[in-house]
Amino acid sequence: MKQRALSLSKTLLLSHNSKGLPAIRCLSTQEALERRHHLFVLEKKRQLEKVGRIEKIEVNYKGIPNDCTLVMNKDISTPYDCARHLGEWHMESSALALLDGSVHWDMHRPLTENCTLELQRFNIAEPQQVNKAFWRTCSLLLGACATVAFKDTVPVHLHSFPGPDIRSGSFIYDVDLPSLPDWKPTPQELHTLSAEYIQLTRKQLPIERLDVSMELALEMFVDNQHKAKQIPSIAKATGKVTLYKVDKYVDISKGPLISNTGQIGRVAVTSVHKLTGSSESDLKQLYRFQGVALPTGVILNHFAFTILTERAKKLNHARSPINPFSESMSAEESIAARA
Amino acid sequence: MNQADVSKLVSKLRIKVPPKHRKLSSPQGPEGRLNKLRKTVTGLIKYERIELNYRRADEARQYAERLISEAISHGDCHKPTMEIADYWLLEKQLVHKLFKVLVPRYENCNTAFTKMYKAPQAYYGRHIDKAVLELRGNPYPTLTNKQSNNRLLLQNVLLDAAKYDYRQAKYAEMAEKLGKTEEVKSGQSNEDRNKPSN
Repeated sequence: MKQRALSLSKTLLLSHNSKGLPAIRCLSTQEALERRHHLFVLEKKRQLEKVGRIEKIEVNYKGIPNDCTLVMNKDISTPYDCARHLGEWHMESSALALLDGSVHWDMHRPLTENCTLELQRFNIAEPQQVNKAFWRTCSLLLGACATVAFKDTVPVHLHSFPGPDIRSGSFIYDVDLPSLPDWKPTPQELHTLSAEYIQLTRKQLPIERLDVSMELALEMFVDNQHKAKQIPSIAKATGKVTLYKVDKYVDISKGPLISNTGQIGRVAVTSVHKLTGSSESDLKQLYRFQGVALPTGVILNHFAFTILTERAKKLNHARSPINPFSESMSAEESIAARA
Repeated sequence: MNQADVSKLVSKLRIKVPPKHRKLSSPQGPEGRLNKLRKTVTGLIKYERIELNYRRADEARQYAERLISEAISHGDCHKPTMEIADYWLLEKQLVHKLFKVLVPRYENCNTAFTKMYKAPQAYYGRHIDKAVLELRGNPYPTLTNKQSNNRLLLQNVLLDAAKYDYRQAKYAEMAEKLGKTEEVKSGQSNEDRNKPSN
């Protein structure tokens, strides 16, 4: 498989034109996943090797059990590595890092300079940013579930997910299922999706982050026309695209995300709604997958959780990417950029 | 009926005191039991948080509570209270701590002065209930991490939003109902108005 992916990417690099594209568009979902994962791993390795001579930075840790200074490797050590020095509890419970009291940093993103570090959990006094990161992660993983859950005969093209809005009651992923024009999921199918999700969280996988150039991102998502279309607008500002990898699944997100899938506790995929496109958009319909989740360790009465799931079954009125009610053109770009 | 209510004459502890004491078996008999408890009470006043077996903790807690409440109600110029403090506190510098630190701390306290938690048990070995006994207002970090009242926690945000939604739905329903009744009323009044003209 790796060989094949390599040769594919090589041919792509050589040809650099649209002739090679149709062949890749025909990849099955599984093969596309493998290929993307392989490219991600290669790029990560390349970036690590590019660091070269290792320099040291000083990280001033603030928090439990006591403030201390850690000497870490520049561009290699992550906040997660700092947490490993502090103890298992920090490794498991910290979801997000706060640098210099202002910048929210992923747990698995290498530190670049001297800084002060705070580790944030879900039950701190002001958890807004952690909650947002959690909701974003849930959306991203919902995409991963949707790609894995269907049979090979059903092509799944992920579209995008809007920015996190917790008060709306559900996290979303908009997915294009071209071979299912009129699908209404049975409760059994929703259970299966939820089970898929729970399996993913039980594996306790770290969520890796990587900034890649626009060209590489386009090459990785060449089989997904929607993502390929969004990438230029995302990369417009910095020329970089932020990718996240969970297990074999790679997706685009602005970040930051939480540290580990094990930090997602109770979860339910509650409904799938059909979104119909406006007349001028080239995409006629999308499916909006919705779910609701709580962090690990949150104990909530089953009755209260039922209220949350019932509410998450209603259509979430976040702006639809194919039928934006207010603006017509810029909406798709902005939604993709926000996600 | 003119008799005074006895329960108001005796100082009342704010913890539950069981009708019978625990024996806490000891070779020296009842005296040995009291010696054990004196050690524990002294330790509690000294360290402010101790971990020990549940039975002994619960028993010592009652004596510690009583000691502090006596010290608060009588002060340090009362001879019997001083004797009690002298008996229960094996290290004499703690007598000063009792009257100069703990009494001011708990003077206006309207809860119990101590707090007891059930502690986790050892994974294997003898099955013995453990407890953590502490004085309130001690300088250590709290043992429980209870912040369920924080409105910003994810679950509370979700529940708040659900509550808001539910209320909005109810208001809409009520408004609809009101509108209907008004319609009916106005319809009736219109009919009433129309009748005479016809």
